[in-house]
Amino acid sequence: MNKNREPLIRVVKREGMKRREIVMLYFGAIILALGIGAILLLSLDAEPFEYYEKMFTMGTIGNKLAYIQFQTYVQEFVPLLITSLALSLAFKMRFWNIGGEGQFLLGSLAGATVAFMVPTSTNVFLSMFLMILAGAVVGGLIGLSTAALKVKFGTNETLFTLMINYVALYVMRFFGETKADWNIFLRPEERPKFNQIPDNTKMFTIKIGDFSLELSLILAIVLVVVLYFYLNRTKQGYEIAVVGDSINTAKYAGMKVNKVICRTMFISAALIGAAGALRVSSVHALSDSITNSVGWTGIVVAWLAKLNPIGIVIVSALITLLQCGCRFASSSFGNIDSHFADLLQGIILFVILAADFFIRFKIVFRHNSKKSSSEKEVNA
Amino acid sequence: MSNNIYAIELENITKTFGSVVANKNINLNVKQGEILALLGENGSGKTTLMNMLSGIYKPDSGTIKVNGVPVTIHSPEDSKKYGIGMVHQHFKLVDVFTAADNIWMGAQNAGLILKNDRYEKIAEISNKFGFEFNPRKVVSNMSVSEKQTLEILRVLYYGANVIILDEPTAVLTVQEIRKLFDVLRRMKEEGHSIIIITHKLNEVMEISDRVTILRKGEYIDTVNTSETNEQELTDLMVGHKVNLNIERVETSFDRPLLEIRNLTIKNDEGSKAIDDVNFYIRGGEILGVAGIAGCGQKELCEAIAGLRKIEDGQIIHKGENIVGLTPKAIIEKGISMSFIPEDRLGMGLAPSLSITDNMMLKNYNQGKSIFVDRDKARNKAQELIDRLGIVTPSTETPVRRLSGGNVQKVLVGREIDAGPNVIITAYPVRGLDINSSYAIYDILNEQKKDGVGILFVGEDLDVMLALCDKIMVLCHGKLMGVVHAHKATKEELGLMMTGAKDISEVNGKVAGIAKDSLIADSKEASDE
Amino acid sequence: MNVFVNFLFVIVKNNIALLYGTVGEIVTEKSGSLNLGVEGTMAIGAIGGVLIGCKSGSLLVGILASFFFAALCGLFFAFMTVTLQANQNVTGLTITTFGLGMYYFIGNAFKNAGKWPTNNVVDSLNGMKPIEIPLLSKIPVIGKAFFSQNIFVYLGIIIAVVIWWYLKYTKPGLRIRAIGENPASADAVGVNITLYKYVHLMLGSGIMGIGGLLMALTLSGSFEGSKCWIDGFGWISIALVIFANWNTLLAIIGTLVFGLFNTLKVYGSTLADFYPKVFGWLNKIPPQFMQALPFIITAVVLVVSSISKRKTDEPAAIGRNYYREER
Repeated sequence: MNKNREPLIRVVKREGMKRREIVMLYFGAIILALGIGAILLLSLDAEPFEYYEKMFTMGTIGNKLAYIQFQTYVQEFVPLLITSLALSLAFKMRFWNIGGEGQFLLGSLAGATVAFMVPTSTNVFLSMFLMILAGAVVGGLIGLSTAALKVKFGTNETLFTLMINYVALYVMRFFGETKADWNIFLRPEERPKFNQIPDNTKMFTIKIGDFSLELSLILAIVLVVVLYFYLNRTKQGYEIAVVGDSINTAKYAGMKVNKVICRTMFISAALIGAAGALRVSSVHALSDSITNSVGWTGIVVAWLAKLNPIGIVIVSALITLLQCGCRFASSSFGNIDSHFADLLQGIILFVILAADFFIRFKIVFRHNSKKSSSEKEVNA
Repeated sequence: MSNNIYAIELENITKTFGSVVANKNINLNVKQGEILALLGENGSGKTTLMNMLSGIYKPDSGTIKVNGVPVTIHSPEDSKKYGIGMVHQHFKLVDVFTAADNIWMGAQNAGLILKNDRYEKIAEISNKFGFEFNPRKVVSNMSVSEKQTLEILRVLYYGANVIILDEPTAVLTVQEIRKLFDVLRRMKEEGHSIIIITHKLNEVMEISDRVTILRKGEYIDTVNTSETNEQELTDLMVGHKVNLNIERVETSFDRPLLEIRNLTIKNDEGSKAIDDVNFYIRGGEILGVAGIAGCGQKELCEAIAGLRKIEDGQIIHKGENIVGLTPKAIIEKGISMSFIPEDRLGMGLAPSLSITDNMMLKNYNQGKSIFVDRDKARNKAQELIDRLGIVTPSTETPVRRLSGGNVQKVLVGREIDAGPNVIITAYPVRGLDINSSYAIYDILNEQKKDGVGILFVGEDLDVMLALCDKIMVLCHGKLMGVVHAHKATKEELGLMMTGAKDISEVNGKVAGIAKDSLIADSKEASDE
Repeated sequence: MNVFVNFLFVIVKNNIALLYGTVGEIVTEKSGSLNLGVEGTMAIGAIGGVLIGCKSGSLLVGILASFFFAALCGLFFAFMTVTLQANQNVTGLTITTFGLGMYYFIGNAFKNAGKWPTNNVVDSLNGMKPIEIPLLSKIPVIGKAFFSQNIFVYLGIIIAVVIWWYLKYTKPGLRIRAIGENPASADAVGVNITLYKYVHLMLGSGIMGIGGLLMALTLSGSFEGSKCWIDGFGWISIALVIFANWNTLLAIIGTLVFGLFNTLKVYGSTLADFYPKVFGWLNKIPPQFMQALPFIITAVVLVVSSISKRKTDEPAAIGRNYYREER
């Protein structure tokens, strides 16, 4: 009578896991992922602890040139942070903006356009401001049109933004590979190559010893604070929360749901565009790989951080550490490629997605199913 | 086959959703070759119970026996294997498939390769059962009744021995119902067992051998159809009159606040949910709305709140037509709507947000500041928690984590706090314990004293008879009449709810039109 | 004429991998899942197929290996989204990140250890040698392009046709379409949704993997530390699914259209030089525009079909996980 037995395990939805338990679970998940990574490292005869030590310190300990590592770190951290924050705005409304790459690319192109157009006498703050503005407007308009298509006609935003990513990439390549009089982005002579932006449009930095602190880091931190307040304290932030939680309730409360979606998507994409412009100012030249894949990684970061601004700061800092660290570590481990960072990132995400399952669902074993249903009662 | 063996036996079945008990210790059995009617009001747990036979839900406890053998049904696949087939009220059909493919996709004997002869095979079977049916028709082009025919045919085709039909006649015409019943009788003669969920008493009397009655998730009784009558069944279904000691506050009624004229609304499936209905609410009056599952209550509430397009008719608030206004404008006019759906979360609350955040759902936009005033909302939340005895760890707990009764207190409390002049409230005490229910009645009565007009959509007739001033009865979207609560009896309401009594037009007087109507062009104004 | 014939030949030869990616994604999407991990799945299939294929020296083993390793990615996707109910978009993107990471990790490991298969071994796979089909290959102009190709071209077209037939004319095909349209209805008639989803997600990913192997062999299987063989073809495949309206026969035509633009990028100026009167205008069109065209067309198709409410064959339940007791 085997077939008539209750199944050994049953999956039941659950609510209300404690925050501490969740943090512990995630922490365990990361350790597990690092453990899997260690096995892979061992398979190539690399000493995992040594590798991880190099990775987590980025080789900064006892290194006179450590400030260079930190500068690179900040340069990569800021775009990822801003993009993840921006994407989380859209995701909060369950709007699948996976067009971060495209919005970033076109934002950086707009920023570079301004950089090459403004008179070289312009003050660095003004020119940076104009670059950011241009990036934000271009990015924002793309986001707005995507949202408008979605709310007006129901165009699938996931696939549409995916397409725009590639259109943007080829637009960038077109400017990078086309030699012509009008093409202000290229170097005057030589083969087609992106030119450096004028000095007065390069990122303003504050010297702290040898370390140059980029203005963009300060802007990004301000943005975290502003967004935190925007989401938690303002009427618009409240609207985003309600629309994301239940569209029916939002309509019931008299909210203009379409307007909220369009406005939020504009802000989301505008921030990504601005991040693109900042990146140009920071690395001084365009490139078709200027995004450093933040449009993709940002999705992962936003998701891992459960769309929480503070969580995003932590996760994006860690992911950047992972990437910079792996690049450094691979320089001393000849047989480990720096793409090990991607591999590790993938494993971490898989393990955490799996951990999420245990937060949302509870597995009930056959013999104590009675007990668990009474537990549920207490919970509720 | 012996008549002594039960095809299906359910013993002590219990099923809960979160803290809601949908079924509590239910017993039910069906013999070989009989038709059992499962009778009960909205929310009495009929569909949930049957879904456990069809493998959609699993019972928390209890035993299911098929032909006397205990079984566990994990999935619809198992259910099919045990010869149980269910025709769901909400069709489970693939819209882009032909009728034949909808059947074929679950057929055991169908070969690996789809051949054109499947259309003929299915046409053949369909003729055999007496359906006129085009197997090549795509579901999205079918009428509601054609879709249902397909569902029934599908179960028959799979060779089910026990057939469950959830409200099968609701969407059929009289002729179609007759045909269906012929089919059911023929199935019965062939030894099939049939469970039919319904609340049309005349159909129960006509088709069934026995009737099992559920009320509020509990098993009440099983009677032989030949030994009962509609009156007794109604009593069993609605229960005996209970004196609830709910106070009916006497107020002096004002002029009509909200008047509804010739209102027609369609439901999501496109059929008429509310059909040419008139009624009005005065200030300081509670008007009850009685009716059985899905007779248009939800659509009515949504239409008044501006959330659903109406087909025809007028909704007049203080003499002004509010049809076509945005939900926001309607809120600003002081019309509050709260609807507690069966899962209790849904319209009116954002489940993942805190109590505080849910407090400001309707008024967050007041004032010029760009910031929300969360302190005020928090105070209001605390005030409600204290006043209504809401059990919660804090004001910042997500509403989803509260138990059902507390969720409702949050919702109703917020609505009343906004100081509306019309309150539309549907099932505000659904699933609440006695004390919480009384707290809600008190709140409503207080509002009534303040001159607010209240539309109370309810399930419990005892409560409505005690609390409401007048009760309007809906049956399949049509108004059956409006009665004074102190004069009406439960039996009378029961008969009206099932469509057996219609007093919507007596001696040329149309029910639901106020004689002192504020609608200018109203010529045949008359009180009911 | 030779240049033009060659042009057609190259369109087919260099782009048929798109067909594998697209057919695989169609199988996946028809079962109601949007898998954004095509790029990573193809990369895994490619590297697994090349290494095992070279080791065994057999093309067949290589193809089976690429199918197998890619199908493992599909298994993973199924486990995450069907069993663990994880978000499909995030899972798919992670498969891409992970797959590319794995690709470089394994590739560099072999290369650094000096164990990367040499060109001689790759040649032993023999896969890229044209097989001339008698008579048909003699048809003027198109004969060479379609009937004098390597085995992957024929295999790809056969797979596309078989999958089309499978989805349309078999009972499992009917069931998987039902799951993609309305899982609750398939569930109600007793279709084992979990089993069907697992099998078809693995099948779809496996097909993508063969496309990955093809791309690797087109580049003679030599591993470069910085650039992946797949080079965006996985993403184009996702676009192509929409262009082909979820139909694997249309996917063959779509592959040729998209391939045309891809090929014009490198071949445009040659054509313009040889046939200045007919193709001279090609020189004026930026090659990047040609490359962007598939994506522009797909975006336009998306918008136009949503504006006109034209009925596409997009599965209605795509992207949403199914949980039976959801109320």
